[in-house]
Amino acid sequence: MHGGHSFDVTAPAWLEVLDEAVAACRTHGREDLAQRLRRRRDRPPGGVRIAVLGFPKQGKGYLVNAVLNAPVCAVGDAPTPAVPVEIGFSDQPTATLVGRADERVPVPVERLTGELGARPSGSLRRVEVGVPRELLSAGLLLVDTPAIGDPRSPRTATALDVLADSDAVVLVSDATTPLGPAEVALAHHVRTWVPHVVLALTKIDVAPSWRAVAERDRGMLSEAGIDAPVLPVSATVRLAAAKTGDQELNARSGFPQLLSWIAEQATRPPEHTRAVTAAMSVRAAAAELVEALRGRAEVVGQDAGVDQTTLLQRSQRKADELRKRNTRWQNLLADEIADLQSDAEYDLRERTRKIVETIDETFDRGDPVKVWDQFGPWLDKTLTEAVETNYSFTSDRAEWIAQAVASAFGEQYDLPQLSLSGSGAELIADVRRPRVEGFKIGHKAFTGLRGSYGGVLMFGLVTSLAGMPLINPISLGAGAAFAAKTISDESGMRLQRRQAVAKMTAQRHVDDVFLRFSKECRDAIRGVQRRLRDHFTMLAEELADQLAREREMIIAGSAERERRMVRLRREIDRLASLHQRAGELGVLAGRAPRELPA
Amino acid sequence: MTEDVRGLLADACAFYRDSPRVSSLREALEHLEEPLRVGVTGAPGTGKSTLTAALGEIRALRDLTLVDDPPAPALTDATVRLLRHLEPDELASAPAAASSAFARQTAVDTVLVLARADETGAGRIDALLTAKQLARRAWRQDPLFSGAQGVIAVAGQLAYGARAFTEDEFELLAAFAAVPREEMERYLLSVDAFTDPAFPGPVSVDTRRSLVTRFGLFGVKLALTLIRTGSDSRVKLSTELVRRSGLGELRDTIAGCFAARAEALKARTAVVRLETVLRTEPRPGSDRLEARVERFAATAHDFRELRLIADIRGGRTALSGEPADEAVRLLGAHGTTAEERLGLDIETDPREIYAAGADAVMRWRHEAERPDRPLAERAAAQVVVRSAEGVLALYG
Repeated sequence: MHGGHSFDVTAPAWLEVLDEAVAACRTHGREDLAQRLRRRRDRPPGGVRIAVLGFPKQGKGYLVNAVLNAPVCAVGDAPTPAVPVEIGFSDQPTATLVGRADERVPVPVERLTGELGARPSGSLRRVEVGVPRELLSAGLLLVDTPAIGDPRSPRTATALDVLADSDAVVLVSDATTPLGPAEVALAHHVRTWVPHVVLALTKIDVAPSWRAVAERDRGMLSEAGIDAPVLPVSATVRLAAAKTGDQELNARSGFPQLLSWIAEQATRPPEHTRAVTAAMSVRAAAAELVEALRGRAEVVGQDAGVDQTTLLQRSQRKADELRKRNTRWQNLLADEIADLQSDAEYDLRERTRKIVETIDETFDRGDPVKVWDQFGPWLDKTLTEAVETNYSFTSDRAEWIAQAVASAFGEQYDLPQLSLSGSGAELIADVRRPRVEGFKIGHKAFTGLRGSYGGVLMFGLVTSLAGMPLINPISLGAGAAFAAKTISDESGMRLQRRQAVAKMTAQRHVDDVFLRFSKECRDAIRGVQRRLRDHFTMLAEELADQLAREREMIIAGSAERERRMVRLRREIDRLASLHQRAGELGVLAGRAPRELPA
Repeated sequence: MTEDVRGLLADACAFYRDSPRVSSLREALEHLEEPLRVGVTGAPGTGKSTLTAALGEIRALRDLTLVDDPPAPALTDATVRLLRHLEPDELASAPAAASSAFARQTAVDTVLVLARADETGAGRIDALLTAKQLARRAWRQDPLFSGAQGVIAVAGQLAYGARAFTEDEFELLAAFAAVPREEMERYLLSVDAFTDPAFPGPVSVDTRRSLVTRFGLFGVKLALTLIRTGSDSRVKLSTELVRRSGLGELRDTIAGCFAARAEALKARTAVVRLETVLRTEPRPGSDRLEARVERFAATAHDFRELRLIADIRGGRTALSGEPADEAVRLLGAHGTTAEERLGLDIETDPREIYAAGADAVMRWRHEAERPDRPLAERAAAQVVVRSAEGVLALYG
């Protein structure tokens, strides 16, 4: 073997890889792994450590005692220590309790079990036992561990922690039943951290079918890809053989094979072992880190995959919805406003038409001179009423339209201020009195005289033929009759003229009012339309902006995820290369003779 | 009690007739007419089938059905749970404890068995005794185990083999026992040694192998020791092996805690099922059924008796010695008839029974009312009083 040489070549390489792995473990918050790796690195050279590991009641204590031919470990129902027991060579049997603060308390070997029972659990770090055994004389250390149990218990953690210092492991399982799933998992874990593992199949003295069980265990191990030989042993037979010194019986106990396996571990050049174990530890740590990172990458990937598409889709749907809503409310507003325009105008027209009819009726019969004093105020009042009614109708309708548009836009948005200013009815000028005058006495006298003149003349001439004078009672009577007729005629004509003037004046006034107010109304309606349009357009714009921002954020988020993903992938790649390099180192060291394939 | 529960279940079936869960209620209702069903559970390799077979042939248990490893949803009234070791971890792997309040209050349906007791302590000759002590200690002291009606160490394989002992096998063992012990010892060291071709005598390797497979190496060793120390006939040896295997204790526990309380346990199963349905599918009006379940839980005395028997036997009460024995008897551990509870002969005059019952009530009522005793003790005495009063009620 080329111990020294290979040390020179490989040591810096594996140290470097190990340091890198430690750094990686710390970066990823796995202080426990880093700790294990550091312990690998800082282990003092020399001495091979073999850990004995197993579930409870598998005969671990009996096995260790039988290996050493000495009652070192507690067996049976005696309480087993919750700390590792390191068994090494010494001329005289010794036992030392090592406390948490590294204080060392030597105790007599035969009182070890009692002493352990008396100590509070957790006060000890480990127990060191020395026995005068040839097997251990080359610096070999056997480490008995607390039984593996509940994966969360500190006892299990202590037992697994021993792996960090171990060069080889003896797994213990009894031959009464084949390996359970938990035992296979344990073997797998052990094999990833430690290069040399053997399964000691205990209690073969009481298990009639131990050969079949051994076969099944071998099958299970190789199926799980765990490279570990299975050695059936019986501590009972071994102890009986030791008592009688019966070599043949000893051979049957299966222990010679186990001992030679242990001795073989001790003869490996320690530098090789260190290189290989370092490489393995790095690989194990890297594998654990990569697994954790893969898990995270998967989570991130799922986030990206599911969330982003859904979010984008959702935002797209919102935008579509908004667009549809915009068309809807705009159409609605235009239609409703047009309807309102025509309705309001029609309403006003209808109302004024009725007023005009009443005017006509009034002045067809009445004398403006007599009725105007009543008529004027009536007209003003009626007109004001008509205008105001029309206005309030318009304003109600406008309100309603606003509601309708708002609901077309979406219930949750508020309405603009819509209250119309006063109808403006108070601005209507009073109707002016038309210029009409009554038929006065002077006029009447003059008209009567003018009419009587013709009568007097006409009848005077006729009667003058009968020899009467021109002015005679008859002609005078005719004159009077003519005068009366003329006055009556003149009076009727004047009345008609007055009526026509009054009608015209009143109608013109109504027309004026209609014109002014239909304009006013149209303006108000337009104002409403404009206000509604501005309000909802602004809202729509705001919503659109919000959606756009949302979209940007989604895209930005996915970019962030993408970056994280890339980082994770890079990290995984880095660890994978570390894993690979460690593997190469292991192979390099594995070229040494009698090295098991890594 | 069964009548009440039958009525309750019938009403529940009617109430939930359109629910998919009604079939589970119907099953429980029908099961009230069937024999008690006891499931034998445990991890693979604990010897469930062997123990089921060994228990199955016992006359005292002929009224109950043993189910070897019942699948999860199957209906069982009680459980015999096999453990390889009395490790807390092993018990922790148990399926979640009963979920409903009533089921927890009346958790009297489990007996734990330290199976393969013959492997304890590397199979030394006192392995069974050690195992028995371990089991007893765990039951008395470990809160994880004390909830069971008993923790019993049983060597199932040995028990099964010993119950079906053949004359040939006895002859064979007797012949081995005749060989001087020192000479035999090396061949009893391991299975391999026992089946070694170098074994002295004319017995073939196959015969020896079948012997060791049937009884285990420990069984063979124990049988030889027993033959040497006086169990000189097949029947004697068989009886002694069965006794030592722990099967007898297990049988008595099952008979006393399960078989004798078959009606109560079946009623319990039905009510637990009903409670589960009520909890998972509450409906308007189901509170009336709930109230009836509660009333049942409050009045069911059997469970309190069983719980107290376990506590007294497990040493978790202040009772010991003579009073403890009497209390356990009154609670019905040795049988639930009036005579058995009072420890009288079967043909006793009813007046005498009444007098004895009245006496027991008086004494235990006194215990229940002693102000100088802690509350727990008085409560326990109260349960005993109630049991004794139940006896009086039969004759009142």
